[in-house]
Amino acid sequence: MKNTVTINEKDLIAREKLNNPSFAKTIWREIIHDKMAIISLILLIIILATAYLSPLFIDQVALKRVNFLNTWKAPSAANWLGTDDGGRDVFGQLMIGARNSFTIGIAVTLIAGVVGLSYGLISGFYGGHVDNVMMRFLEFMMVLPTTMFIIVLVTIIPNYNVVSFILILSIFAWLGKARLIRSRALQERELDYINASKTLGTPSWKIMFFEMFPNLSSLVIVNMTLTLAGNIGIETGLTFLGYGLPAGTPSLGTLVAFARNPDIVQNKWWVWLPAALLILVMMLCINYVGQAIKRASDARQRLA
Amino acid sequence: MLKFILRRTLIMIPQLILLSLVIFVLAKAMPGDAVTGAFMGNPDATPEQIEKIREKFGLNDPWYVQYGRWIGKAVKGDFGQSYTHQQPVTTLIAGRVENTVLLSLFTAIMIYLIAIPLGIVAGRWTDSWADKLIVTYNYVAFATPLFVFALLMLFIFAFLLGWFPYGGSVDIRIESGTWDYVVSRAKHLFLPVMSAAIIGTVGTIQYLRNDIIDQKNKDYVKTARSKGVPEGRVYTRHILRNSLLPIAAFLGYEITGLISGSVFIETIFSYQGLGQLFIQSIGLRDFTVVTALVLISGTAVVVGTMLSDIILSIVDPRIRIE
Amino acid sequence: MSLLTVNDLKVHYPIRGGFFRRVVDHVRAVDGISFELQPGETYGLVGESGCGKTTSGRAIIGLNKSTGGEMLFEGKDLAKMGRAERYKHTKDIQMIFQDPYSSLNGRKNVLNIIAEPLRNFERLSPKEELLRVQELVARVGLSPESIYKYPHQFSGGQRQRIGIARALALNPKLIIADEPVSALDVSVQAQVLNFMQEIQKDFNLTYLFISHDLGIIQHMCDRIGIMYRGRFVEEGTADEIYNNPQHVYTKRLIAAIPEMNPEKRFEKMHLRQSINEEYQTGYNNYFDKDGRMFDLKKISESHSVAMQ
Repeated sequence: MKNTVTINEKDLIAREKLNNPSFAKTIWREIIHDKMAIISLILLIIILATAYLSPLFIDQVALKRVNFLNTWKAPSAANWLGTDDGGRDVFGQLMIGARNSFTIGIAVTLIAGVVGLSYGLISGFYGGHVDNVMMRFLEFMMVLPTTMFIIVLVTIIPNYNVVSFILILSIFAWLGKARLIRSRALQERELDYINASKTLGTPSWKIMFFEMFPNLSSLVIVNMTLTLAGNIGIETGLTFLGYGLPAGTPSLGTLVAFARNPDIVQNKWWVWLPAALLILVMMLCINYVGQAIKRASDARQRLA
Repeated sequence: MLKFILRRTLIMIPQLILLSLVIFVLAKAMPGDAVTGAFMGNPDATPEQIEKIREKFGLNDPWYVQYGRWIGKAVKGDFGQSYTHQQPVTTLIAGRVENTVLLSLFTAIMIYLIAIPLGIVAGRWTDSWADKLIVTYNYVAFATPLFVFALLMLFIFAFLLGWFPYGGSVDIRIESGTWDYVVSRAKHLFLPVMSAAIIGTVGTIQYLRNDIIDQKNKDYVKTARSKGVPEGRVYTRHILRNSLLPIAAFLGYEITGLISGSVFIETIFSYQGLGQLFIQSIGLRDFTVVTALVLISGTAVVVGTMLSDIILSIVDPRIRIE
Repeated sequence: MSLLTVNDLKVHYPIRGGFFRRVVDHVRAVDGISFELQPGETYGLVGESGCGKTTSGRAIIGLNKSTGGEMLFEGKDLAKMGRAERYKHTKDIQMIFQDPYSSLNGRKNVLNIIAEPLRNFERLSPKEELLRVQELVARVGLSPESIYKYPHQFSGGQRQRIGIARALALNPKLIIADEPVSALDVSVQAQVLNFMQEIQKDFNLTYLFISHDLGIIQHMCDRIGIMYRGRFVEEGTADEIYNNPQHVYTKRLIAAIPEMNPEKRFEKMHLRQSINEEYQTGYNNYFDKDGRMFDLKKISESHSVAMQ
């Protein structure tokens, strides 16, 4: 065999990359072509950047200091969004709350993603009895009254902290994803490229995660974006009820929780309303971006 | 058909047993038991006295005996004694159940009243301005967390505009049985029901819209059109008949959502129902009540899911195959 | 010694029924077939769809579990091997799949597709690997620069060549070709088939060639086994099967090949009619009272028929 390699390798790779746009590129194209999605993305980036960079210009210690001379102040130049029952600045808490809520949402989504993906892939790849047993368990988990279970777990767990809260949320967050991935994996395993890998001696775990998974990745990405919003909603909701983040770790839900008192709902709106609206805006933004990603994953629905 | 129903019902039994076992384990992990309840307000109890009480309540028996006794009583409707209210849990729950059932029932009805017409309009006139509006509403409703929306409703309609009462299930000054009483109840129900329903329509609208769009291009619809069936009748007689039937079955699946929704809604609107009782009890660490409520809700979801599966299999025979 | 000896191979699937889903009966997809493959030859498995020919092939390579019988590869039974031992023979037995579209992972480029078996069995440096893949790609007649392309950028025939290159990567002894050309245009079929014959000589391959197309089988195979409802009907050399079919099912199959010469068409029609008559009258000679085929009986050194 003569050595036929005369063309520059890098050139070749670059040329084929151009012919085969990656999923990230397709998503980007789809977002640019959707006005709502691009606005949402920019807004989301602004909100998150402000929230995550806020420690640079907000004094964290002052934020926790109780000042009884300054309680329930309406918005002013000094306190953009007024102060709460301890005289603490609401805007600062809003930023830190947004940061905490988003971080927890991401953490839960990632854990649930990994667990749900693995569970679904294994169940769908092996099929048969394995699938049967795994699905019975999943069905059982899905009929549990989730909200109540989480609240009970939160109250009875010893040494309750942020990490245990994230884990408790994750217990119930992977179920839907596992079912979705499993049904696609069942279809995928009938295709010959999976059979081919088996006959080529590729180990099962490699087939699952390196052959099958890339073909399901767009589905996973779409699902993770859409559930990210849902997970933030669940976290803030539970914190609102008082069974979410432990005291001392403020979340957007902590601020909204002030609204459980009718007097505050009516007369001190600046404490809870901005947080409620911020949750709403973040959810809408994440969902609009998520919908654009969803369209990008399905060639028939693309706008771009 | 009968075989499927029987088999599906049989699957429910291990589910219920497992559910009760999980709840039993959780209950054991909760601080406080019958002894704590018996010695409320008597910190001077001697160890002998405590031991006597433990023996009397059977707390020294092996776990499976305790489980058997607990589940045996629960089946008969005896959930034990509430520490804080000093009355049987069953009585406590019975006093609230009507409110929650009313709330859930009206929410479910409202969901269908809103979702079915909107779904049909969006599906029939795809890409019209009405469809775009409905799809946008669906996006927003999908993204909005229930508690945020309910709070905004409360703030705007009860506090800013003052159209509705901001809490409770009925005005306590009005005598029950009168017309005013009914009106007052309806007024108290309106905001909670609407908040839950407007957010709850998402799945149904989306299902209906997609299904109608699917059916529209099926051959049997084209045949009907080519026979000269007027467009309106193509929908009423052919498409909707297929698309609407499964929706009836979704009610059972919605129970999960309604239960977790009731926890939020009842807390926000201080509505005297089971969801509020749950939050209050867990706040007071009154765990006999908590355990009973979780068991009841879990059973409701298991039974509801089973009913939905069965109804769906009657309506759509393809589902039975598995 | 023969390369592969299949003895009374059975693949049965349970049919579950009744309330408790007990096994009530079995689908006998493959119901006791036996044949031998000599090194370097091409053995054809022919039959209508659903007759069990693909299932047999998949059982030999291990994609299906056999439920009975033995498959001796170089004297050792593949069915009884433990996982580790079976894994060693993965290199020796490879497969070419029917559908060139679904048998290549669309998310991987040609380099990664062909290198997959190499990465499983050989420790090569990236450079060596690249050279090996380029060699293989060139051998199957594709340009070396195409190794960074993705499957969707190729035509069906080219994709099937990529599949063949992948199967060749490990220098196998036996290749199971499951309808390798039936998904391709007729114009490309001959190309791929001739190419398969070419590499058979170069790599000293043995083919188990599964097809429903009698023309292709005649073109490719030295010896042929005709399958019907999971059993062998007739086995013999290509010449014996095509010129001297004994079993009525074989006769019907051969008679169904379209005749190119218009003048002979009338003759052929008569032939078909007479075979049909034989089928009606002589049914009991070929099938027992359950409609099952008899066991194969030798009628010459190389030719056997399932007749009473």
